[in-house]
Amino acid sequence: MTEIALLGRRAVREVFRLPEATVPTLFIPLFFLAVNIGQVSKTFPSSTPFLHGQGYVGFQLPVSLMFAVCTATSGLALVTEIDGGYFDKLLVAPIRRSSIIFGRLGADLVRGVGTSTLVLLVGLALGARMRSGVAGALVLVILAALWGVAYAGIGLLVALRTRNVQATNASFLVFFPLLFLTPNFVPFDRLTPLMEGLARANPVSYVIEGLRSLVLQGWVPGKLAICCGVILVTGLLLTWLSVRAIEGYDR
Amino acid sequence: MHPSPAAQPAPRPGDRPNGRSHAIEARGLTRTFKGGIEAVRGIDLDVRAGEIFGFLGPNGAGKTTTVRMLSTLLPPTEGTARVAGVDVLADPAEVRRRIGVALQEIGLDPIQTGRELLELQCGLYGMGESQARARAQELLELVGLTEAADRRTKTYSGGMKRRLDLASALVHSPPVLFLDEPTTGLDPASRLTVWDEMRRINAAGTTVLLTTQYLEEADQLCDCIAIIDAGRIVAEGTPASLKAQIGHDVVSVSLDGADPRATRSTLEQLPNLERIVLEPEELLLYVDNGPALIPEIVRRLDREQLRVGAISVARPSLDDVFLQATGRRLEGAEEQP
Repeated sequence: MTEIALLGRRAVREVFRLPEATVPTLFIPLFFLAVNIGQVSKTFPSSTPFLHGQGYVGFQLPVSLMFAVCTATSGLALVTEIDGGYFDKLLVAPIRRSSIIFGRLGADLVRGVGTSTLVLLVGLALGARMRSGVAGALVLVILAALWGVAYAGIGLLVALRTRNVQATNASFLVFFPLLFLTPNFVPFDRLTPLMEGLARANPVSYVIEGLRSLVLQGWVPGKLAICCGVILVTGLLLTWLSVRAIEGYDR
Repeated sequence: MHPSPAAQPAPRPGDRPNGRSHAIEARGLTRTFKGGIEAVRGIDLDVRAGEIFGFLGPNGAGKTTTVRMLSTLLPPTEGTARVAGVDVLADPAEVRRRIGVALQEIGLDPIQTGRELLELQCGLYGMGESQARARAQELLELVGLTEAADRRTKTYSGGMKRRLDLASALVHSPPVLFLDEPTTGLDPASRLTVWDEMRRINAAGTTVLLTTQYLEEADQLCDCIAIIDAGRIVAEGTPASLKAQIGHDVVSVSLDGADPRATRSTLEQLPNLERIVLEPEELLLYVDNGPALIPEIVRRLDREQLRVGAISVARPSLDDVFLQATGRRLEGAEEQP
């Protein structure tokens, strides 16, 4: 088995053995899903054009998915290993340092698929419908999980640079401005000009739009392509930075 | 120019040449951290293949930093080093294949079981799954952890963790093993178990570089010792040769309230006195034949009406070697059973 697979297996094992690291991260997405639906559904009934005949839950579901997958869990796991000394044990083994990163990202993919699936099921239970069908639901879960993998690079990078648990934990907060400067509550054309400008410049907006299209509209190739492109570029950039950070660790 | 691995190493005081090559060589090894902190200042090392080499010194002396440089975790600021015949800067990956490392902080994953951890370690060193399983079982039996093998390591005691950490450093039977303060924090029984493990590993041919702040550990285990203080090696040799440099006996006069200067001036005229050192609570006399001098010491003190506490005689210890080299005792050193 390759070193990435070995380290990935270890990290996945950690996900299942430490449910307390994953389960609490579901509180925010599910809380916001319930609260936002409760507060805004009357304002935007299903007859609202941008809802395409669905309840507001369909519009909010992708946002909750983003909340569910964007965590600092991997970064925290890494900084805990740095703190505890096991990281040195891995560095002194004859492996590529990048394997440590890729092993963690593999676990993030597994975790992301699990949490996305759970949030999707809750959304469906609350009345959302997948206009793109079962295949669309699978694509939705995978894309959300892949975005989580891409985003995990932030936590890993902060962990390697700071070697500090508090700083790594706080890196999760980077996501909040990124998430709220988007067509989070309403579409682009319902935002103020300033907000619309900021939202259109924010790549996270296009991930939300791509996921949302699967729920509300079915298969919209243009939106999906942009969504995939943003996930790919973000993932490549943050992963490259993380790999660079670990290669240069203590060197 | 560095000596080739096959060259005869220079004899050390008290040494008998045995034709062994170097397992670890370092020249001018230096590490300066940000802020100009010089943790290691130009260390030269020659560790012979097959020996247990001790690095003895107080906290902050540079022991761990030296180990981290030799094990490729930290690049030297200056200097060169070869471990198991390989340059640590030119080919660190190959060095890592040839060394095992157990650092001061026990490096275990608390979520994995002991068996899983060892099997992972075996896999990272290139073993297939069945080979890894067999090797892990072998090591678990060796370090006496078969019963706890399938429990998570966070449930292990300190001694168990240390034994597992040691086992994980041995999965690939490395020719060179680095142990950074392997018995710190262990109870006496666990400490002795680790000592036995080290002797067994060394008897099988592994070169061991051991850092410690425990005098007894260095004295008992090491073929050769380098005493390090403030980033520099201040003394080096076999334990016997280092102690022989001090003199034969150390007579300790516990002052117990007696005037230190008066006591010193009374005793500094003693015959065969090599050296006299005034410590805060005691006077140390380095003499040829301590027991024979006791009556004379008592007579002189009594004549001057100086009432001291206990008078004792001891052979020189490594602490005396450290004291001679640095002017102070090895701080933090503990007495061991």
